[in-house]
Amino acid sequence: MIGRERGPIRVGRDGTYQLCIDTEDRRSLLRLLGELRDSLLDDSELTNTSTDKFRRLFPTAYHDDPESDIEYQRLMKGELMASRLDSLSVAQSALVRSPDDETLIMTPHELDVFTRSINNLRLVLGTMLDVQESDDFIDASDDEIDDPARLHFHLYSYLGWLLDWAVTVQTGALQAD
Amino acid sequence: MNSNIDVQPVVVDEPGTLETTVTDRPWIVLVWNDPINLMSYVTFVFQKLFGYSLEKATELMLDVHHKGRAVVSSGPRERAEFDVYRLHEHGLWATMQKDSSS
Repeated sequence: MIGRERGPIRVGRDGTYQLCIDTEDRRSLLRLLGELRDSLLDDSELTNTSTDKFRRLFPTAYHDDPESDIEYQRLMKGELMASRLDSLSVAQSALVRSPDDETLIMTPHELDVFTRSINNLRLVLGTMLDVQESDDFIDASDDEIDDPARLHFHLYSYLGWLLDWAVTVQTGALQAD
Repeated sequence: MNSNIDVQPVVVDEPGTLETTVTDRPWIVLVWNDPINLMSYVTFVFQKLFGYSLEKATELMLDVHHKGRAVVSSGPRERAEFDVYRLHEHGLWATMQKDSSS
């Protein structure tokens, strides 16, 4: 993967952002976002409590009040699902634009929903990997990624790196406002 | 002005003087620690959603990280539900409850 030392996301002069990752990484992200979207649309995956990999995407709202939480989920879960699917659609649409160009221009709204979608991917992947606080250091060097487990941690680490840069550039914009 | 209106006396129920007004306790929104969300991301979300300064957002994030949770907003129930929804939308684990300190 290229461009790590320079930062993969840069601020444009006109208020847009430039996502600078190689086309192979972009295709991988596109595939992952599509898989997440398909999984969210698959009722059997959402109701599969044995894996429960989506629990971080639909957390409880009332910690000690199950009845209120059931009512909250009844009213809000559909809206939250629609918001997640909409974010994934916008992020996917942005990623397929100018597919052969390593620099992709994103509007502030596109980067915002791209950021949330990357975080959603991390939440699902981190849940599946049962990531703990002490796993912060995990990173796999490129020569170890033939191991499927290491590959997933490598992906988790990559998404974290990308997310951190997305936060950095948007925090700068918040402070400039 | 029209002076031909037939005015009838009406009985009005007035509140008794001994009644007290019960003020609902405000609701608080808590964000809980989790091992997945980046500290930088949590700080950014607090700034973006609540307009907190970087210093205030960082302080709250550190409370979440070190103490396990932090109160990030408070107010009427509807407002708390709205804030919880926005935090969930951004992938943070937020819950709401009545403020037991008031």
